[in-house]
Amino acid sequence: MILVIAEQKDGAINRASWEAVAAAQTLGGPIRIAVIGSGATAAIGEMAGAKAEGVLTVDHAALASYTADAYTHAIAELVTAQAPDVVVAAHTYQARDVMPRVAARLDRPLVTDVVGIQAGSPPVCVRPMFQAKLVAEVVPVGPAPHFVTVQIGAFRADSAARGDSPAPVTTVDVTVPADAIRQKPEPPFREAKQAVDLTQAPRIVSVGRGIKGEEHIQLARDLAASLGAELAASRPIIDAGWLPSDRQVGSSGQTVAPKLYLALGISGAIQHVVGMKGARTIVAINKDPDAPIFEIADYGIVGDLFEIVPAMIAELKKG
Amino acid sequence: MEVWLFRLLVVAAAALFVRQMLVRYRLLARAPGALEAPELAPRVRAFVSEIVFQSRTIAARPIVGIAHLLVFWGFCAFAGYTSVEALRGLGIIDLTGTAAFHAYEAALVPFASGVLAGITLLAIRRGVLRPRALGAYVSKESLLISAFIAILMITFLVDAADAHAGVAVGGVPLERVNWWTHMLVILAFTVLIPDSKHLHLLLSPATVFLRAPILGTVPKLDFEKEQTGLETVGQLEKKQVLDAFTCVECGRCQENCPAFATGKVLNPKKLILQNEEALLAGKLDLPLKDLYDDPALWQCTTCGACQNECPVGVEHLPLIVNARRGLVSNGEAPSQLVPVYNHLERRGNIWGLLSEQRQKFIDAAGVEIFDPVKHDYVVWLGCAGAFEADFQKSLRALFDILKAKQVRFGVLAKEKCNGDVAKRTGNEYLFQELATSNVADLNEAGVKKVITSCPHCLKTLGHDYREFGFEAEVMHSAVFVEELTRGATPIPGVPTQGTVTYHDPCYLGRYAQTVDEPRALLARAGATIAEPERTKTNPFCCGAGGGLLFEEQETGQRISDARYEQLAATGADTVVMACPFCSIMLKGAQASAGKSGAAGAADKPIAMTDLMSYVADRLPGVRDGAPPAAAPPAASPPERSGEPTS
Repeated sequence: MILVIAEQKDGAINRASWEAVAAAQTLGGPIRIAVIGSGATAAIGEMAGAKAEGVLTVDHAALASYTADAYTHAIAELVTAQAPDVVVAAHTYQARDVMPRVAARLDRPLVTDVVGIQAGSPPVCVRPMFQAKLVAEVVPVGPAPHFVTVQIGAFRADSAARGDSPAPVTTVDVTVPADAIRQKPEPPFREAKQAVDLTQAPRIVSVGRGIKGEEHIQLARDLAASLGAELAASRPIIDAGWLPSDRQVGSSGQTVAPKLYLALGISGAIQHVVGMKGARTIVAINKDPDAPIFEIADYGIVGDLFEIVPAMIAELKKG
Repeated sequence: MEVWLFRLLVVAAAALFVRQMLVRYRLLARAPGALEAPELAPRVRAFVSEIVFQSRTIAARPIVGIAHLLVFWGFCAFAGYTSVEALRGLGIIDLTGTAAFHAYEAALVPFASGVLAGITLLAIRRGVLRPRALGAYVSKESLLISAFIAILMITFLVDAADAHAGVAVGGVPLERVNWWTHMLVILAFTVLIPDSKHLHLLLSPATVFLRAPILGTVPKLDFEKEQTGLETVGQLEKKQVLDAFTCVECGRCQENCPAFATGKVLNPKKLILQNEEALLAGKLDLPLKDLYDDPALWQCTTCGACQNECPVGVEHLPLIVNARRGLVSNGEAPSQLVPVYNHLERRGNIWGLLSEQRQKFIDAAGVEIFDPVKHDYVVWLGCAGAFEADFQKSLRALFDILKAKQVRFGVLAKEKCNGDVAKRTGNEYLFQELATSNVADLNEAGVKKVITSCPHCLKTLGHDYREFGFEAEVMHSAVFVEELTRGATPIPGVPTQGTVTYHDPCYLGRYAQTVDEPRALLARAGATIAEPERTKTNPFCCGAGGGLLFEEQETGQRISDARYEQLAATGADTVVMACPFCSIMLKGAQASAGKSGAAGAADKPIAMTDLMSYVADRLPGVRDGAPPAAAPPAASPPERSGEPTS
């Protein structure tokens, strides 16, 4: 049996846990998915949709907020009781904290950051080593269970098989003695530094010096609105104070990887390029045919953005 | 009675002098490192030029410098006079009556007049004009010393003219009053020297001689000996201790520092004086990061102006880089460098781009992979050449020129960053990894001559790599192309649009002293050159060196903005650059300039271009479709003479 440890926060399943399910499914054999937490009903419901033998809910008041001690205790107890062959979790920050503790407590091997896995007893794990300079096949030794964490993005969440009917949900009781918990979690907070999180935006309209004046920023804003995109800028625009600094893309701003990056009047200075080169599709509009931005653009339009952008907005409004 | 009184005073003054000097000697003796002076010839040259003829003192401040030269020579000339008078006073031997002494005394008169004129000028400057470089307050001790020197000269002139003959003051012959005044001033001076900036009288000949002959020499760390850089005052090396005691507080370093000029906390003069203060206070365990103002160490662009302008041989660069090493080895690099280090470790370039992009550029440019049988030269691309679309234009221009002149060249199949950023920011371990790997690749490929368009690559490959067993000749493309195209004239009919200003990259103009070749090339291409403020061997930095390319957020004015203003102020229509870092910084400054309709956003923006592009477009036979010169001079490639990079 393969046990997947799913991660949830406030009832929402971490998307990477579906990747862990997908990884577990490639091993063949029955799968149980454990949801750790307190009152994570929605998360339990979501995981029941997976093709699995069952969903185990480990519900305890001490597990409401994450602490290394409580989770280590609960997962170790769960694993001992379930006696799986393999335990799979996504290589999240939480897993990096808790899984080594659990493995150490049970004196079993842990293979981390795995990018591929082949069925077997024990399974053969593939993981990058020495900063991905080489890829190694790692086989855990000793008796089961063997612990595996899978690199985020290595397996596709949408490839995880869904069940025809919801998997049965079983509650597993664990004891988490209060005196075993040495950490006191503070309420979670987000660093207020970046009010605008461009890193999650699927589409970005970005303006550079070619926009000429503050009064023209509205044009870019209109284009962004009609595309459902976030507005961003290169350094000169931020320097000029035409947009706040949390909208800067580049080496001293945010590093973004949207599906679409539309660069308006951006020359493509290297400090900007390093912040957006990961974009899936780059479209550049610039008057200067020699602008370096065209070296990395997938689509380039040499022309006046003040003619092209209004035409684009008009066309988008039609659709 | 008079003799015994003088003897007593001489012993007392000597004791006070020795006691103060011993404190300093002990600090020097216990400091790690050694005072070594390999390569004698350049050191002797520097000594003669800078000590005997005071070239650095005079260079940037001619009037003050010449005044100082007069005082210096006067001091040397007076050594004999003072000794003879002292010997007489001590009752050992009286030579004052000899004919030789009279002749000597007569010969000293012009010197004395010179010193008097010089010191008066210097005292007026210090006391009345009070330039910022000398500090916020007027040093009383300095004025006292000036007065002393003036008194010495006046008493001498009185004596030489025999003006005191027969005159008495309160029953004492004026001759004696004069003599005692002269001698007491000498003794007081002796006592004051060690604890004042006038210690440079004694130490600066040594510090100038001991200074590394090549600017920016920062020896590699020996990890086998567990060297990790400077962390505390007690770890300052012997030369650095000597520098701290020698500093004459003239402020040339401060006035030439681009960080100081743009309102940052870094002041190179202050670093040296803080070293002195901490050493004398015995704070040997004090961490340097607590001694210096934060984040002064991370505001240095390693432009080298401080050290290159220092008249007493103080070396700021090794101090700053070594202190950075101490911080980096404890994981205290500033946050903007962390991704850069990651990029260098994982991808071997400063921007973390994939090596296939470099390959694409090589394929598109149609250049061959270096083969020692087919090629004489390697063109080293560097990170910018391999990955930065803008600078790749410069390299294409260089390729076009080389091809037109039938130079046999290739590029390496793979390159890693030369490690300049790692070296200058103190990540020595990373630098050595990159250097070792590159040197192995270069040597294995059989490379004998390297051309690069990046002055930072020039410095690292041509100088820093010597410690790693790399001996090939390394030259900047400006130098190579200048020699290659001698005698060429601009393509007829290409209009020379207005004037051109040339921005000397620090690592080319100041470090490599290459200032004539770029200008010769520009002139050959038909340009009229307008020189900016701060030019040639003392340019104002673009702000990118020393890892600051990645900083972008600066306190005070951006250095690049300040430099762009200086360049724009020439009124030139075109700014020509010869370094990818300068190009990135100054183009960025231009884009940020004129946000509210100020300079730069004018009707006709200043064209920003690279030296090679400028030349390739204007010399015949390169891009004008004309056939290459009938008898290509490059059939036998130009032989370079002299040292490769200095």
